Amino acid sequence: MGGVVAILGFVLFQALTSARVFFRNVDEAVAERAELGDTTFRMQGVVVTEPAEDARGAITFAVSFNDVDATILHVGEEPSDLFELGMPVVVDGHWEDDVFVSQQILVKHSESYVADNEDRPGVGEGTDADSGVPLDDAETNDDEVSASDDR
Amino acid sequence: MTTEISPEPASKTTTMTDAVTSTGSKVTRVLGALSLVSIALLLAFGLLVSPPEIAQGDSVRLFYIHVPSAIVCLYIAFSITLVGSIIYLRNQSTFWDLMAGAAAEVGVVFLGFTLVTGMLWGKPTWGTYWTWDPRLTSTAVSFVLYLGYLAVRRLDMDPVARSKRAAILGIISFANLIIIRYSVAWWRSLHQGQTLDPRDTQLDNTMLFSFVLGVLALTMTFAWLVIHRFRIAWLEHQLEAQQLELAIAERTSQGPTGLAHGGA
Repeated sequence: MGGVVAILGFVLFQALTSARVFFRNVDEAVAERAELGDTTFRMQGVVVTEPAEDARGAITFAVSFNDVDATILHVGEEPSDLFELGMPVVVDGHWEDDVFVSQQILVKHSESYVADNEDRPGVGEGTDADSGVPLDDAETNDDEVSASDDR
Repeated sequence: MTTEISPEPASKTTTMTDAVTSTGSKVTRVLGALSLVSIALLLAFGLLVSPPEIAQGDSVRLFYIHVPSAIVCLYIAFSITLVGSIIYLRNQSTFWDLMAGAAAEVGVVFLGFTLVTGMLWGKPTWGTYWTWDPRLTSTAVSFVLYLGYLAVRRLDMDPVARSKRAAILGIISFANLIIIRYSVAWWRSLHQGQTLDPRDTQLDNTMLFSFVLGVLALTMTFAWLVIHRFRIAWLEHQLEAQQLELAIAERTSQGPTGLAHGGA
């Protein structure tokens, strides 16, 4: 019994203190670029440029977090239909020089749900129609503040 | 067969067990009817009446079963298992031992349903059925923990020791639910944050209604299934005790003749 509690405590301690995270934010991933080398990791940011798809199906776009931008070259599977300018995404891949080569794009979706009816056009896609920058989402984690509005 | 004498007196119930042909009662029949009606209503509201979501489209409809199902298993089912386990360890109550087991069994079904509906929802929104996100991972761990709990309940061993072990596991497993609950706050997660804020004015009324209906429908269905599952377990328990008593009675009636040879 004591052993079980000790193991559980150890696992919990490791989980809560370990530096390993599900994703790094763009600013962290850029700062750690040298150490990361070509290791595969996940990176979170908001899509800030209109994604452009080339003839071979590779998608190029930029993501931003805490005012730091990164260029993404996505060569993996087609992302979900929710992928578009202004959406927060988690990309899985590695650095190749200044470009992040992505194998997977996961689209984050907030917990707000808006009915799709004509009298509320443009609201609720998580973006401000003018700037394409996400609206303040009070319920995201503290370290996940949306990209700054004054860009 | 069991080797220990059960603390429950079987004699009182001997005739009752023989006569039972159903685990239903007036209450469960009403509950069952209400469950079915509410599920039918939920299907109507979830699939037809409620609007598609502006970004997600129709996949938002999974919200009305995924979240209610998670609420039922994480907050109701495994809480009953926790409470039952604690009470059992304090006073060896057969009722609470069996109730803890019944709630966990139905709870695991709802947890599996939560995982499956979550995966079906993840593909069209996130772009993947599964990823090792903190909430998904901790939920999968819970699924395995409660399967383990159910496995312990079926171990071929002394029933009292078995129930005690199950109760301890029922309490330990609950700790992981707290991790699930706060996973989206403690760690960076792909999963949405906490369930709807009631002050969220953006939520369409029909959507909110469908969600509340989902919670009601699945809660009633859960209660209905648990009552039946508990009654089956209770009858099994009494049958075992009764068979044990018969076996003992047989042995004691044979006893004197057997002893006569060895004696003198």
